[in-house]
Amino acid sequence: MAVQTAEEIDTEQPPAARKGSLRDRPVTAWLFLAPYLALFVAFVLAPIVFGLWISLHNWDFTLPRKPFVGLDNYKDLLNPDSVSFAGFWNSMKATGIFTVLSVPLLLIVPLAIALVMNQRFRGRNAVRAIYFAPYVLGVAVVGLLWRFLLDANIGVINYLIGLIGLPDNTPWLSSVPQAWGALVGVTVWWTLGFNAVIFLAGLQDIPHEQYEAARVDGASAGRTFWHVTLPGLRPVTLFVTMTTIIASANMFGQSYLMTNGAPGQKTRTAIFQIAETGLQNFQMGSAAAASWILTVALMATSVIVFTLFRGREGERA
Amino acid sequence: MNHTPRSAELSSVATVFTRRRFLSLSALTTAALVTGCGGGQGVGGTDKEGVGGFSGKYEGPALTLAYWNGFTGGDGPAMSALVDSFNSAEKNITVKPNTIEWADFYQRLPAAVQANKGPDVGAMHLDQLATNAARSVIVPVDDVAEALGLQESDFAKSVWGPGIYQGKRYGIPLDVHCLAMYYNKDHFSKAGIDAAPTDAASLEDACKKLQQAGFDTPFWMPNQWPGHLMFLSLLWQFGGEPYAEDGSAATFGSEAGVKALTWMTDQIKSGYSPANVDIDAQYLAFKNGKNSITWDGIWQINDLEAAGINYGIAALPTIGDEPASWANSHNFFLTSQAADDKDRSDASKVFIGWMSEQSSKWSKAGMIPARNSAREESAYTDSVQYALKDQVDHLHFLPPVPGLGDVQPQTLEVAVNEAVLDQKSVEEALSKAQSNATQLMKDNLEKFGG
Amino acid sequence: MKALRLSLLGVLTLMFVSPLLFMLLTSFKTRQEAGRTPPTLFPQQPTMQAYDHIFHASDTPVLRWFANSLFAASANAMLVVATAALAAYALARMEFPGRKIVFGLIVATLFVPPVILIIPNYEIVGRLFWLDTLIAIIVPTAANAFGVFFLRQFFLQLPRELEESAFLDGANRWQTFWRIVLPLSRPALATLALLAFLTNWNDFLWPVYVLFSPEHQTLQAGLSTLQSANSVRYDLLMAGAVIASIPVLVLFVIAQRFVIEGVSRSGLKG
Repeated sequence: MAVQTAEEIDTEQPPAARKGSLRDRPVTAWLFLAPYLALFVAFVLAPIVFGLWISLHNWDFTLPRKPFVGLDNYKDLLNPDSVSFAGFWNSMKATGIFTVLSVPLLLIVPLAIALVMNQRFRGRNAVRAIYFAPYVLGVAVVGLLWRFLLDANIGVINYLIGLIGLPDNTPWLSSVPQAWGALVGVTVWWTLGFNAVIFLAGLQDIPHEQYEAARVDGASAGRTFWHVTLPGLRPVTLFVTMTTIIASANMFGQSYLMTNGAPGQKTRTAIFQIAETGLQNFQMGSAAAASWILTVALMATSVIVFTLFRGREGERA
Repeated sequence: MNHTPRSAELSSVATVFTRRRFLSLSALTTAALVTGCGGGQGVGGTDKEGVGGFSGKYEGPALTLAYWNGFTGGDGPAMSALVDSFNSAEKNITVKPNTIEWADFYQRLPAAVQANKGPDVGAMHLDQLATNAARSVIVPVDDVAEALGLQESDFAKSVWGPGIYQGKRYGIPLDVHCLAMYYNKDHFSKAGIDAAPTDAASLEDACKKLQQAGFDTPFWMPNQWPGHLMFLSLLWQFGGEPYAEDGSAATFGSEAGVKALTWMTDQIKSGYSPANVDIDAQYLAFKNGKNSITWDGIWQINDLEAAGINYGIAALPTIGDEPASWANSHNFFLTSQAADDKDRSDASKVFIGWMSEQSSKWSKAGMIPARNSAREESAYTDSVQYALKDQVDHLHFLPPVPGLGDVQPQTLEVAVNEAVLDQKSVEEALSKAQSNATQLMKDNLEKFGG
Repeated sequence: MKALRLSLLGVLTLMFVSPLLFMLLTSFKTRQEAGRTPPTLFPQQPTMQAYDHIFHASDTPVLRWFANSLFAASANAMLVVATAALAAYALARMEFPGRKIVFGLIVATLFVPPVILIIPNYEIVGRLFWLDTLIAIIVPTAANAFGVFFLRQFFLQLPRELEESAFLDGANRWQTFWRIVLPLSRPALATLALLAFLTNWNDFLWPVYVLFSPEHQTLQAGLSTLQSANSVRYDLLMAGAVIASIPVLVLFVIAQRFVIEGVSRSGLKG
């Protein structure tokens, strides 16, 4: 994900062009590009167009007949009286809920951990590795493990909650809002280490002199954090925010493994719904249309987040 | 379909098949195959049938068949034992099972067969045959039925018809499975009930007595699985039909449907069931002794046995005008992939034929053998599910309509959920779901080419 | 005061890893004990039953899944690095007609979420007869726009003098790239390889839908079938999870500094 903006990219001329030395025949450049472009065209550009084409059809992978239906798939997804409407928009809502709940936590908790790890103490590297470890285990191990721990009847979590005198029968995996707590909590446990090490790197990149200057001015720890640390972290924070939003909006494994969408289809995310519609029921036209709608929504969100960060930067400049 | 029976040790099944006993069985089978094979040619006419001259025997080179099934639960060991004995019997055929949970099974099968990476032979639910036939995933097996001399009268009532799609047979039934009423015997004796309820009045009476005995909510009403199966059973009991036989319309919103669903919501209104029952909670509560009566599939038998509770099993009470229960059946099928190769399709057919002959052993899986003859053998008559023997004549199966498996979860199941959760009135939920279902079914008719 | 803070950190860290410890302990319990309420902490009759079962079950070959994942993620990482480095170098250092358009297209897809590719790529992979093969896991995701962008930024920062002197010595583009640029770019290449590896290793949705046979599963997809194959056998599930975790954790402990620093760099230079 890019921290730079479009204008910055545009102004970067390749040095070769500026200096006029090291001339290449165009064919050399295309040869360098060829392997990547082959993959890029076959599995990114062509599928984007092909997906649009599929979305205009009643497309079943297993049937020879794939009748053209124009915009019907989109109309159905946007028409409250149609059959596909409720399922799709419930799943969009689930994705929205999950993203809104998880992104702030996945920014604040890792930042706090990074601040702790940024201090000098023995065993710092070990601590850093421990917090990162769940991430390398992958979603399947994490899902299986937490499904066991959160089991309403025989799970350890409910047992421990019971030990301190609270109700010990919380249906963590089969009832909302409890299931959202479980899914968000597990996701934070799983991926906080990843965001934390990026924040940590960002912290270590902030010039030491700025802290010195703040100290000389007699700034409190809070003010130093607010006026030195946070602004210094802005590019990193933008990167982490964008990647976390995209990852949260693509949440699938946790709900597939832990709740299987329960209760009902309340924790079934948009991508879960799209995969099941398209790759299980083979209603690929409708699924392709749904993924276009989700994509537009996600891109709009990215633009808003981007603008917010740019706006704040403008104020301070 | 993802609620399969779970956790029961059935390793004992394997010991049933001592080698000697097995050899005598297979000799019988072979004899049956040989005598029954007279008419084994050219039934039906599609090019991809692999029918011609299936002799009931396999004499080609040694090969390995990929066999897919979804017996992941308490039925798994019984199936493994059957496959093992088949493998030791047939010199030239090795069957390699791949057991995938049903939900994944139906997702993977069409794509895998299309990619030529699917199985040769497999078992699937009766109500999925038409969909997979329409997708050309599976091919007709009329010749197997003919070679085995099978006909409708050999099988439990109404299991034969829904295996036929567009005039051709696509599945050989192994078993039938339906809903049963489970009840806690300890609760019943404490409440002074000596017989399982058989109709609405006696069920209500039992619930009242159970409440008086201190079991406040004796009959939990699920709003998810298996709520829709209860609804279908009741719909049939009241004389309704869920879908038009030709797949042109949904009819579950009829007067019978309204009566059926109203009865379900009444159980909550009368206080026999708590509201908002979580998924599986009625069953878990039954196992924990918090719920006294529950309707569930017979595939739970092995799980209940393993749980060690003192339960009774009985046919569903007749709430409506006539006895009825929703039912389904595991059927053997042959894929279009195997049909391309004569050896593979012949070997697969031998396997199907053999398994069909063994269906009484399948009682160990908690299922009811589909074949009438198998239901006379002790493996079945000694089983728990034998208690349901009278219900076998009142089973109802969904019609063979392609795509129905995708329609029902989006419509009928939603209506049951909404009405039982009291989010909508029964009439409102059913009429909306019915019109949605009709729309989807019309689309499907067009999509699958009618 | 500092000791207090440190011990607080210690307690938090212990809480953080305790699920993993519990997973390990449960995998040595008997089937009954694993499902007991209240749960036991230490196995009362430690047993290898669950491991024995997993290693002998033909439909859940956990070690095979591990090998598949290792192979697929490594191959994917190599493919990503090789193709992206070549393309990024052309875009950073060469002038040719269409350069802006190509780079613009690649940058534009940085903002396109991958969900849009699932349905059409499934259809494409199906037509290529790649379903149920590891190629489907390795190749389609190798078209990585981030990689090109990331390496181009890195190449732009390299001093050009070294390349120019190589040119004056008669080296051609390929030789310059191979002998000068690549060796200078090791940290960036390693970072990209690592990110590609981790992404592929953690990928779940795509393998769940494109792989069918037990022996072709990746670790993530395979483990999810372990769940359905043994629904309430928590002893087996935990043993499977342990088997899947140990090699990864060992690799991680060996390479953790490198892994973490690679990930850190992605946020700064990206």
